[in-house]
Amino acid sequence: MSVASARTARVPRMTGWLGATVSTDHKRMGLTLGVCSLFFFLLGGVFALLMRTQLAQPDMQFVSDNSYNQLFSMHGSTMIYLFVTPMAIALALYLVPLQIGAVGLSAARLALAGLWTWLCGGLVMQQGWFASGGAGRDGWSSYAPLSNGTNTPGVGQDLWVIGVILAAAGMTVIAACVLATVARRRAPGMSLLRMPVFTWTALVSVLMVVSAFPILVFAMVLLYIDRHGGHIYTGFAGAIDYQDLFWFFGHPVVYVMFFPYLGAAAETIAVCSNKRWFGYIPFVASIMAFAALSMAVWSHHMYVTGGVTNQYFAFTSTLLLVPAGIEYFDAVATLIGGSIVLRTSMLFALAFFIQFLIGGLSGIFVASPVLDYQAYGTYIVVAHFHYTLFAGSIFGFFAGVYHWFPKFTGALLRESLGKLQLVLMVIGTNLTFFPMFFLGNDGMPRRISRYPTHPGWGTLNLLESVGAGVIALGVLIFLVNVVVSLRRRVVAGDDPWLGHTLEWATSSPPPPLNFERPLPPIRSYAPLLDPRQEGSTAEARGAR
Amino acid sequence: MWSWSQLRVVQALVSTRGEYDRLFSIYVPLAIGVFLVIVVAMIGAVIVFRRRPVERAARWHEHNRLEGAYALLLACVAAFLLYLTFTTEHRVDTVADRERPALIVDVTASKWEWTFTYPAYGFSVHSGAVGRQPMVVPAGEAVRFDLTSADVIHSFWIPALRYKHDAIPGSTQVFTLVFSRGVFPGQCAEFCGLRHADMIFTAHAVAPSAFAAWARSRGRGPRP
Amino acid sequence: MRGGAIPILSWGTLLLILCIGNWVWNDKPVSGAAATAAVITVYAFGAALWLARRESIRRGPPGPASEPESVPEASVAAVVIGLSVGCALFGLAWSKFLLYFGAAMLVLSLARLVIELRSERSTRQRTAADRERR
Repeated sequence: MSVASARTARVPRMTGWLGATVSTDHKRMGLTLGVCSLFFFLLGGVFALLMRTQLAQPDMQFVSDNSYNQLFSMHGSTMIYLFVTPMAIALALYLVPLQIGAVGLSAARLALAGLWTWLCGGLVMQQGWFASGGAGRDGWSSYAPLSNGTNTPGVGQDLWVIGVILAAAGMTVIAACVLATVARRRAPGMSLLRMPVFTWTALVSVLMVVSAFPILVFAMVLLYIDRHGGHIYTGFAGAIDYQDLFWFFGHPVVYVMFFPYLGAAAETIAVCSNKRWFGYIPFVASIMAFAALSMAVWSHHMYVTGGVTNQYFAFTSTLLLVPAGIEYFDAVATLIGGSIVLRTSMLFALAFFIQFLIGGLSGIFVASPVLDYQAYGTYIVVAHFHYTLFAGSIFGFFAGVYHWFPKFTGALLRESLGKLQLVLMVIGTNLTFFPMFFLGNDGMPRRISRYPTHPGWGTLNLLESVGAGVIALGVLIFLVNVVVSLRRRVVAGDDPWLGHTLEWATSSPPPPLNFERPLPPIRSYAPLLDPRQEGSTAEARGAR
Repeated sequence: MWSWSQLRVVQALVSTRGEYDRLFSIYVPLAIGVFLVIVVAMIGAVIVFRRRPVERAARWHEHNRLEGAYALLLACVAAFLLYLTFTTEHRVDTVADRERPALIVDVTASKWEWTFTYPAYGFSVHSGAVGRQPMVVPAGEAVRFDLTSADVIHSFWIPALRYKHDAIPGSTQVFTLVFSRGVFPGQCAEFCGLRHADMIFTAHAVAPSAFAAWARSRGRGPRP
Repeated sequence: MRGGAIPILSWGTLLLILCIGNWVWNDKPVSGAAATAAVITVYAFGAALWLARRESIRRGPPGPASEPESVPEASVAAVVIGLSVGCALFGLAWSKFLLYFGAAMLVLSLARLVIELRSERSTRQRTAADRERR
């Protein structure tokens, strides 16, 4: 398949930073979105370190109560709206067209507009720090009536609302383009059930974005009006309606923040086991079901309000263990019988599966209303979602980074530094978040700026703060690794890991139109593994 | 002779802590068991199949019948957990609320204090950022709480009883708790602004006779 | 293109079934409206694909592309659209000047977008004509 390319007359060729800014190449857009998200990760991490310093000892006043409230709100908001979600979309943006054999993204200009809208959202949200009264300070969920004009006046909270609107709208637009690309630009032979595992996880993620994020934009627009004289979220019904609208988005978003990283870890495990991913059909069915179910569970965030049918949402939320169990079955079955290489990417992927499990099991725990009556609003819930999002998704993210960095840049990341990063992050993560289960059960609520001495929470909190420092060290090692690996390059070549999927059938990094050589025949979800396996079968037969 | 009303009194009142502990004692060991099985399987597979030559890597990659059976097993586990949770939740939310309360306490949450009003006795106590007056209740009896908020959403939480409920402006949330004798710290568990951390209270559960004496000394005596 | 609408319409149907379940046990108007909006969005996406190409609901792997695909290289219009929307909404809270400036830039960038799209279309037509000639 040859690709004839013709340049349009009116667009001047731009190189360097400016070129990267206006480029509609999905790879450059993915890298821009990813690098910007990484900056927000570091910013959100700084907020977390400041919070953990305040909480290291009882009755500390390292920062004022008002500052602490801004810190935890902006930590959550930055991580969710400006790092984990957009980074998942960035991975999809870069990899999906490559994995399906496309030459480019559908509606690429729309995606570029969405990217810049998102970035504006991030900057507008952070602008709140410079407003009098401070930045957004009602949590990442910003419940009404706390977040209305009477209870949280000031332009900082307004900027937070606008920032969320812009960020969510931008991400929705990019997701729509990825969805259109999967629908329209698959290469000849790439039927739906031959799409790679990562592409399927990206597909269900963008489906959730497209269907749920507009509800958030709507809820936030109403909140903005409510803050400026419109009596929208008033009374009991208004408060419950806000939560219903917010969590209708708020639950699917956490699966958007999970699936692409699950896909990254799954691809890594398959490649590093030299076996294609086990149970493809049940896996596809279970992630489709999981994603759909995720849109039917949202009121488990509202068990203690008295405004929802607790039993129904307990039912749907507990059912989630069925598709999750299938995914774990597939992971274990992929490992069994393989030829396993313990690269850094593989170690991060294994850590993802093991640590996410703690998050997932604690999720089944809080899915039960009676158990949630204790756990809600406490550090039990904080532990649960940090295990899923950080100990889970972010470790999956790093698995993806170590796996695909050679493809993005043409250079390998250092294995020694990578393993050091892993060890630091495993120790730091568990030290920070495991004690939170005990603190929550003992009575420590979340979102408190300080705590007294008499309950005896000081020791565990100090351990957690030390753990946060260890995580920071691990992230620092990662940044050093990136700089060192780009400065003193070890050339990766097209396919350093013996990959299974089409992105490894082109140069590293890929050329502008993705594939200069003809694609290999696509007969399964592991098109690069097929000829290798057939080749060795033929060899074995020939040798006899 | 036994009458039906006496029998009702003899029935045990719903203990939120007891229900939580019962459910906890099944959920948590099950979760730990599942975790250990999966972790052992994963790490075991990695150890056994490390550094095998690539040609010996297995080619099989599906077994839909086995996975289908596994999915069925998972559905059974879900059904079991749901049965446990539904029956427990029914007791905590429905049965408890049908108990005839020995005392009704009106709780008003506001930024950043708790006001506990005893309508039968005609007085209030204040706790939280403004003061540290304890909420005294009779132990071993059903105490009904009528909870509301004056401004934003707060949450009434007594960790030792394993129960909390949101206080939402424009509504009265009703629930029933039973205290054993002792001192029970409480705290607001829904972020409510600047001094959320200071919105604490304490419940003192004393013998019903001691409670009656305390209440009469604070108020003007029980209303008929 | 073949089969492209299938996963979208299937997932929309899964969502519809769950939303019906939601409504039976949890008949709150706000939730019902949100769920309906979500289902409609997904179905609309699938329907748009089907209307664009009938084969998007036919099963089977896609065949070779029938007409040249166009992939833009860069778009100044898109960047300015994004920035002007951001500027305008920021101005809503921060300063009226930015609101008007953003709105004006949006109009200009939309005009530029039309130019870019027209240019791409003429290039695509020229390339198709060249191919026919060969």
